[in-house]
Amino acid sequence: MAHGFKRTRKGITARFERPEVRLLQKLFSDVATTLEPEPREDADPLESLVGWDEEVPEPEDPAVRRLLPAASSDPEQAAEFRRLTDRTLREGKTAALRASSLALESDPVLLTPEQAQDFARALNDVRAVLAARLGIESPEDAERVGELTDFSRTETVEDYMAVVYNFVSWLQETLMTALLKTLPSR
Amino acid sequence: MSGSYTAAHTPAPSTSAVPAVLMSAAPAESPTVSRDEQAATAVNVPWNVVVWDDPVNLMSYVVYVFRAHFGYPDAKARTLMLEVHHQGRSIVFTGSLEEAEAHVSALHGYGLWATYEKAGEN
Repeated sequence: MAHGFKRTRKGITARFERPEVRLLQKLFSDVATTLEPEPREDADPLESLVGWDEEVPEPEDPAVRRLLPAASSDPEQAAEFRRLTDRTLREGKTAALRASSLALESDPVLLTPEQAQDFARALNDVRAVLAARLGIESPEDAERVGELTDFSRTETVEDYMAVVYNFVSWLQETLMTALLKTLPSR
Repeated sequence: MSGSYTAAHTPAPSTSAVPAVLMSAAPAESPTVSRDEQAATAVNVPWNVVVWDDPVNLMSYVVYVFRAHFGYPDAKARTLMLEVHHQGRSIVFTGSLEEAEAHVSALHGYGLWATYEKAGEN
């Protein structure tokens, strides 16, 4: 059973059971796949190759819209911002997910503050995607989902996803407690 | 924003494979982009970076991002976080358009819901 992250003199560390490692790696990998740009029929192969986007539509998947939200209430400004930042944001998130997945291969897991920040981003993106799939849109929704914490009592896929969400939330909370201690106290 | 989640007991994941539910993209109505005429932008008008409340991000994470990214002291970071939580939004930075855009991009990288707008618009 996981004990969560702790700050030690060596760095931020945690021990996981093998099934927990597999679960987290699967979640990181699923979110990375979710972040792959949506295929477009009209994409110019050369533009795709050099990474130039003439126009990037708002993501159709609500989970991706949570990860890459509109940056402005002005649609034209939001579209321009998306065109300029979409690729970099997707790549940055994917890199954090991959690095965190790799960090889980060590036992115990030992992170520098920078790696811990990547891990926190990765867990946060996992939670955002799970929240979108679970339809968490209000504090009441969050509370309803928060009640499910027992893996042995899950009867539906949604129950299972809720327990996973709560496990990841708990893990991120332990990581934030450890990570906040690394910042200069002011 | 979600409060500190404390599990009474750590849930242990089962060994069964994780269903691929994360991947099922639900279709959504496509957004209609209106092409309103944009007002002429004054050169020296400052821009605000706004962070919006959501029921997912942990309070501790939001405080961490405000401290780590902007270098704000703990007290200021907490005040801003609580403003987001209780008022639904908070202006976390004011400066040039270029700075505002860079901060919004960074905050999206952290997974926060941030937008930029001309100061005085809201």
